[in-house]
Amino acid sequence: MPAKKAMGREYLLRVISLCLSVSRRGVDPFEVEVKRILDAIGKYLPEWELPEDFSLDAETLNWLSSVVELQAAWVKHMSSSLYVDPLLIELKLKALDAESLSEVFARSWRPIVELEQLVPRRVKEAVDYWNLLPPLEGRWPEFEAGGRLGPGSATEEELRRRGMILDRSFEEALEEAWRELVKKAMEGRVPFWDFVYADSYGETVRRAYLASFLVTYGYAGLESDPLEGEYYLKPFKERGKVALSGQAVSVPISIDRDVWVRRKG
Amino acid sequence: MSEKRGAYAGKVKRAAQMLLFQRHRRPGVKGWELKRSLGRDFMKVVDLLNTRLGDLGLRVSVVYEGREPEGRPSEEELERAVFYVVLKDASSVESLSGWRVDEVAGLAAVVAFIASRQGKAARRDVEGLLRVKFPEWRVDLALDKYVRRGYLDEGEGGVLYVGWRSRAEIDQKLLLDLLLGEPLK
Repeated sequence: MPAKKAMGREYLLRVISLCLSVSRRGVDPFEVEVKRILDAIGKYLPEWELPEDFSLDAETLNWLSSVVELQAAWVKHMSSSLYVDPLLIELKLKALDAESLSEVFARSWRPIVELEQLVPRRVKEAVDYWNLLPPLEGRWPEFEAGGRLGPGSATEEELRRRGMILDRSFEEALEEAWRELVKKAMEGRVPFWDFVYADSYGETVRRAYLASFLVTYGYAGLESDPLEGEYYLKPFKERGKVALSGQAVSVPISIDRDVWVRRKG
Repeated sequence: MSEKRGAYAGKVKRAAQMLLFQRHRRPGVKGWELKRSLGRDFMKVVDLLNTRLGDLGLRVSVVYEGREPEGRPSEEELERAVFYVVLKDASSVESLSGWRVDEVAGLAAVVAFIASRQGKAARRDVEGLLRVKFPEWRVDLALDKYVRRGYLDEGEGGVLYVGWRSRAEIDQKLLLDLLLGEPLK
């Protein structure tokens, strides 16, 4: 009788769900009619053949036993002085205004007295720590100059030398980098590091910066070879002419000084 | 005799320091800590301290693990209990500095609601209760604040329990009795 079996399984699952909601929501556990459910479970028992069915049956009994435990606790609670009808409390809570509720709370509230104090031992530890702490200059030597220099002035030449003013526009620098890439790739592709590597680390970073804009602005594509762990730059003949075949993604490539040193070496 | 009295005076002082100054992340001192520091008769010392604190409007509150024992607590129950110093009578809402009156009202409602359900209730039921008086966006904020301050505990499956601070600070029986007796305006 497969229909009766299916009905039985569904019934057991419903009982488990009912027990679960009673145990989680803190509602009256006497809403579960344990005796009636046990009789029903007993009727389905001869139907079970598979281990899963017996397991479900055992789980249902386990949940029912936890409800019986809750019923015992409920009876104990109801007989205690703390018991009041939850529904009555809920109705009262909904009917009272905020001020009355606050007044009631204040009359039943005994706040904890908490104090904080610095004890002499802790003060001594703090003094020792302060005395042993090296000055900031010693710990952050690279910030020393920045922290002490006041505002000054610089000539245009100085700013150009420091790379803060470009001799030409960024667009022009990008076009030049693209032309160089096209030449190097010769209708193929160039390993990313071969393109960006320069004699100085600063120039390498600058070239990597330009390469990132070549890709972003559609001058070139970035291909990866997961087996070799290598990235390649592939220039397009015309800017932005090659449509992206998939969704655009960001690819972080670290221009690590150690990698640059290794290549140089 | 005076030597014994002097020893007790020293122990009362030590007990006061232990109970008044916060030693851990949470306030309160475990019974076994008091026993270790004050000796086997630590409850006698606590009683003496209680008498002294009474003059200052304070008292020692004992929160037992689980249900409050019926009758005289056993030594084991006392060792596992947490001891606090609390105000004898807060008497006014002003003492809840930094709290809005509606937050206090919400806290009273939530603690009473959960206490009347044997100390636990589904979060969604509690949210439903607060939504009657609070705008939607404030319900979560208020509940999170009560949990953060220790007035509520949140368990698995979205169940809220009466928290450690509520157990220490709120006379739940009195709260429920006062609520039932409060006339509607």
